[in-house]
Amino acid sequence: MEFKVSLGPQHPALHEAVSLRMTLEGEIIRDADLKLGYSHRGIEKLAEERTFTQNIYLTERICGICSHSHTTCFVQGVEQLMELIPARRGLYIRTLIAELERVHSHLLWLGVAGQEAGFESFFMYTWRDREVVMDILDWITGNRVHYAMNTFGGVRRDIDELQKKKILDSLDLLTKRTEYYLKIGANEPTFVGRLAGVGKLSREDAIALCAVGPTLRASGVPMDVRKDDPYAVYNEIPFEVCTADSCDVLGRAVVRVKELIQSYKMIEFLLKNLPDGPFKVKAPRKVKPNEVYSRYEAPRGENVHYIKSNGSDKPERLKVRAPTLANYTATIKMLKNGFIADIPLIFAAIDPCICCAERLVQLDNPRSGESKVLSFSQLRTMANDHYKKVNLLKKEAVWPF
Amino acid sequence: MNNKIVPFLPELLRHLFKKPATVKYPFEKEAVPEGFRGNVVCDAAKCIGCMICVNDCPAEAIDIIRVSETEKKFKMILHNDRCIHCAQCVDSCPTKAYHMDAEYETAAFSRHDLKIEYK
Repeated sequence: MEFKVSLGPQHPALHEAVSLRMTLEGEIIRDADLKLGYSHRGIEKLAEERTFTQNIYLTERICGICSHSHTTCFVQGVEQLMELIPARRGLYIRTLIAELERVHSHLLWLGVAGQEAGFESFFMYTWRDREVVMDILDWITGNRVHYAMNTFGGVRRDIDELQKKKILDSLDLLTKRTEYYLKIGANEPTFVGRLAGVGKLSREDAIALCAVGPTLRASGVPMDVRKDDPYAVYNEIPFEVCTADSCDVLGRAVVRVKELIQSYKMIEFLLKNLPDGPFKVKAPRKVKPNEVYSRYEAPRGENVHYIKSNGSDKPERLKVRAPTLANYTATIKMLKNGFIADIPLIFAAIDPCICCAERLVQLDNPRSGESKVLSFSQLRTMANDHYKKVNLLKKEAVWPF
Repeated sequence: MNNKIVPFLPELLRHLFKKPATVKYPFEKEAVPEGFRGNVVCDAAKCIGCMICVNDCPAEAIDIIRVSETEKKFKMILHNDRCIHCAQCVDSCPTKAYHMDAEYETAAFSRHDLKIEYK
């Protein structure tokens, strides 16, 4: 017998608002459908009303975890529109922050995976180690979350010798800790048993459903924007694209731990080969009419910004495709034929950032099944009408004793 | 199964005697790093009224108002409730009238209390 169950948009298992409608056969999910549109923020429309300089800080606020990813994607796109060649030292520092951000994002993900798998001490350990990276970022950029490091033509702050030394010292500790996590994987059968075989996504499905980032690489596809279409200084840094062949959540964890070790090596290389010279060049304020498609490998996967300029100091259009959106279709595939109890783990494995991905408000009429797009004024009229009809205070209700 | 627990023992014992990672915040305060972006501070005497900061501020948190009609004197009003502490004004100012302080406890009961005027 089949049941239809709705999970979310508000549910303790989900960290953000997303609605999942499932057809169940006992404990097994036979069919699943995702409904989006619960956390619309109107960032793209807002970007059209701001200057390019103001938009750096707006794009930074698309996501809290990959704040540097979105600004770099935007900034390098606008630099192409401006036909501006950024300072080399600036590019090195930009790449350094990007890798530090990847380290903190992957450590955060490992903790979340540990928590979802019921391995709470692992969560405590990784998040404690993550503080080391957060402190480095705080120290070199001036803030823990929104680094505000990027600007057109380079970065806003330089790195001195003392900071270099401190980062290199911290790297030793982080490398040691990450190797310890690899050892935990080999010695903790319950953790491995919980992750193995959950959320299967075959190589063919991963390619067909356009999965990105660690989700794709864990299905054995060595695709990484840093290697395929190098931006910043990734063509000068030696690194390997990490993959796993197990096609499950365990593989996604392995890919992330391997990427952590690669990131440490890259940070060391970047610091030791930091070129001298200016860290930023002067950028024009107005941009010639043109359009650009900018790609960036965020910790979660490929991040895409499409920017169109019209000759003024404001963009004509900014389109953001966050990696989570690309992974949704693959997530539905992963959920099918899995258990209900695996939903939080499978969702956590794509490292979802739902409010980064949402771009549209769509209202569904649950009775007629129709869906339509409404304007803001229509929404407001609907809300006002609703509250006029609803008797919130219930003045006629009396205490019966 | 017992030999599988052994890799955790040193870690467990180490964490028993380790200093906690957290601090008792209101009583103990951690020092902010050098270059921390706290509140914006403006030296209004240096202001030439070019309005670059007003145009560049992503949060529209800065107002520059001319004080006297005869002299080139300006006052700066910072709407700290809107400020996102990005320090773009510090970068944009041609006369270096701005800097950031190390203040991070900026909560107030009303957004009007957060308005700061620099003359």
